Amino acid sequence: MADVRLENVVKRFGKVVAVDHVNLHVKDGEFFILLGPSGCGKTTTLRIIAGLEYPDEGRVYIGGKDVTDLEPMDRDVAMVFQNYALYPHMTVYENIAFPLKIRRKKLGLTKEEIDERVHEVAKMLHIEELLDRKPGQLSGGQQQRVALARALVRRPKVWLMDEPLSNLDALLRVVMRAELKKLQKQLGITTIYVTHDQAEAMSMADRIAVMNKGRIMQVGTPHEVYYKPAHVFVATFIGNPPANILECRVTQDGDKIILECPGHREEIRDPELADAVRRAGVREIYLGMRPEHIKILKHPEPGTFKGKVYVVEPLGSEQIVDVTIDGTVVKVKAPPTLSLQPGETVYLKPEDWKKVMVFDKKTGKALKGATP
Amino acid sequence: MPVAGPRRVRWGVLAVFLTPALILLTAFVIAPILGTVAISFECKHGFCLKNYVDVITQQSPDLALIYPPGFGGPPPWGALIHNIVWILIHVPLTTMLGLIIAYLLKDTLGGSFIKSIIFIGMVIPMVVGGLIIRFMFDKYVGIVPKIFQFLGVKSLAITWTSYPQTALIALILGSVWLWTGFSMTIYAAALETIPRDYIEAAKVDGASERQIFFKIILPLLKPATLVVVLMTILWDLKIFDIVFVATLGGPGGASTVMALVMYMYFARELDFAKAAAVAVLLALLTLIPGVYMARRAVKG
Ligand SMILES: Nc1ncnc2c1ncn2[C@@H]1O[C@H](COP(=O)(O)OP(=O)(O)O)[C@@H](O)[C@H]1O
Ligand SMILES: [Mg+2]
Repeated sequence: MADVRLENVVKRFGKVVAVDHVNLHVKDGEFFILLGPSGCGKTTTLRIIAGLEYPDEGRVYIGGKDVTDLEPMDRDVAMVFQNYALYPHMTVYENIAFPLKIRRKKLGLTKEEIDERVHEVAKMLHIEELLDRKPGQLSGGQQQRVALARALVRRPKVWLMDEPLSNLDALLRVVMRAELKKLQKQLGITTIYVTHDQAEAMSMADRIAVMNKGRIMQVGTPHEVYYKPAHVFVATFIGNPPANILECRVTQDGDKIILECPGHREEIRDPELADAVRRAGVREIYLGMRPEHIKILKHPEPGTFKGKVYVVEPLGSEQIVDVTIDGTVVKVKAPPTLSLQPGETVYLKPEDWKKVMVFDKKTGKALKGATP
Repeated sequence: MPVAGPRRVRWGVLAVFLTPALILLTAFVIAPILGTVAISFECKHGFCLKNYVDVITQQSPDLALIYPPGFGGPPPWGALIHNIVWILIHVPLTTMLGLIIAYLLKDTLGGSFIKSIIFIGMVIPMVVGGLIIRFMFDKYVGIVPKIFQFLGVKSLAITWTSYPQTALIALILGSVWLWTGFSMTIYAAALETIPRDYIEAAKVDGASERQIFFKIILPLLKPATLVVVLMTILWDLKIFDIVFVATLGGPGGASTVMALVMYMYFARELDFAKAAAVAVLLALLTLIPGVYMARRAVKG
C-alpha cells in the first residue's frame, strides 16, 4: 500500500509538451482518475508513474520513496494496458502466473503457492473456467478480466489502468465500472485510472484530476469538479451534456452591476455573484449553466434569455433541447411533457442564480462555483 | 448480383483462366520432372533400380554420397554427409546470428545501415559469393588465415580451401556469412510486428531484459524461426554454386555436395541416368522440409 506523488513533472516529445508541470498527490488506497480529452497527456502521465517513460523534469514518489530513476520492475506497480497486452503465446493461466513466475525466487514463492494465488484471483474475477484458453479465444470482456487478474496477482503497491473499459460494449462497460470499483475498495489498492469518459470518472472515482493539454486543470471529488469547476474547461468537459457557456460583459452602474449577455441584460441581483464579479474586477466573463439548471418558458419573464428552439432530442425520461441564443447553442434538459417545435421562440431562465457558475474570460479561472 | 450466398463454380471461366497455366506448367515443370524420374530408372534393358544402387554405393570419394572410409578422419565423408554436416552447422549459426543482429540493431542508431550491409550477402550472386569465400580463406589475401596468423595458430594460417581438413568448414562458414542477411531480414521484419505493449507489460510485470527476450520475444518469433530454419535447410540441401566456384568439391571430394555430384555425373561422367538418380534423391530430400512448410502455410 502506498501513496503516489508527482512533483513538477514535465515530459516533452520534441516540441509537444505532453505533460506540463504536473503536481499530484494520490492518497493511499484511493481510486484516483485522470480525466481529459484524447491527447491531453493522461497515458504519458501514467507511463511516467509506471517507469516506462522518463520525465524531463520533476520527480515521482511512490510510498514516499523517490522512484524517478528506478526501472518499472523495481517500482512494484502493475498496469492494465488499454488493449490489455495479454501475451498471445501463453494460456490465461500462464499470463496470470507470469508476474509471479519470473520472480519466484525474489518473492520466495513455491510452485504450489503460485498456483494457489492464480486460482484465487481467477476465482475473484470469475475466469476460472478460462485458465486453459489462449487470449485469442477470449471475448473483450474476458480478456479484460484476465488483464486485471494479471495486474492483481502480484498484490502491487499501485494499480495503474489505461482506459481499461474503452474496448468493451456499452452495457458491459457499465457493469464493469461497478465491479472494478467494488474490487478496488475490497482490496484497498491505490489505483490510478485513466479515462476520457467523464461519466466513467464521475461514477468510479474518489477523486478526479481533470487534464487538458498536459496540465492539471483541477483535482477534486466528482462532486467538486461538477459543482465547483476551477476552470471553464472543466465545466465544459464534465456533465452530460456539459455545462453551457455564455459570453457576457459586466458593467458597473454606481452600486449596481449590470450583466449583458446574448439575449439578456439585467442587474445582477444574486449577492454572491455580484460579489464575485466585483472582487475579480473583470469586464468579460463566461457564465456557466448546467443543462438541468435551466428552465424553458414559453412566455417572457424578467431575467430570462430569449432564444429559439433548434433541435429536440427525446431521451425517454427527459429531452435535451438545443436553444440558440444569438448564435450560441445552449442545451437544456427539459421534462418529456414539454412540447416544443424547432423554430419556436422560448425564454430560458436559470433555475436559481446560485447554481450559475462564473469564469474570468481571460484566464478561464472560476470566479464562483455553483451551489448544489 | 447478390454478393452473399455460396458461389457457383463457373467451369467455363475457370477453364479459360486455367488452361494456359496448365499447359505451361505441364510443358516446363511436370514433363521435365517426370522425364528426369524416368531417366533415373533407365537401364540397358528397360527399367531397374541399378542407377540408384550405383550412386548410393559409389565409393570414388569425389562422387560418393556416403563414403565410410573417410569416417573418423577428415573429409571426404561423402556428399550426402557433407550436406548434413552443412545443415547441422549452418542452420543454428545462421539462425542465431540473424536473430542476434536483428535484435541488437533494432532501434539502434545506424542499425538499418549496418543491416543493409549485411543484407548485401543476400543480393550478390552466389557465384560471386563463392569467389569471395575463396579469397577470404586464401593464405595470402584472405582475412581468416591472417587472423589465425596473427593469433599464432600456424595450422590455420593456410589457404583453407586447399586442404581436406578445412575446405568444407571454410565453405560452411562462408555460407553463414552469405546467408545471415536472409535470417536477419526475416527476424528484423518479425521483430517490428511485436507490439511494444507486450514488452512494456512484461517490464512492468517485473521481467528482466533476459526474461523478456526468452519468455516473450523468442516465443513470438516462432513463425519467423520456422521460416528461417526451413529455408536454410532447403538452401543447404540445394547448395551448389559456391562449392562449384570455390573448391569444385575438392580437394579429393572433401567438400563436395549432392548437387555437385549430380553435376559431375552429368557433365564429367556423361552418365545422365545416374545424374538423374542423384537429382531424384536430392529432390526427395528437399521435399521433407518443403512439404512441412507447405502444410504449415496451408494450415495458416
Ligand atoms: N512516444 C511519443 N512520441 C511522440 N509524441 C508522443 C508520444 N507519446 C505521446 N505523444 C504525444 O503526447 C501527447 C499526449 O499523449 P498521450 O499521453 O498519449 O495522451 P492521452 O493518453 O491523454 O490521449 C499527444 O500529443 C501525443 O501525440
Ligand atoms: Mg491514452
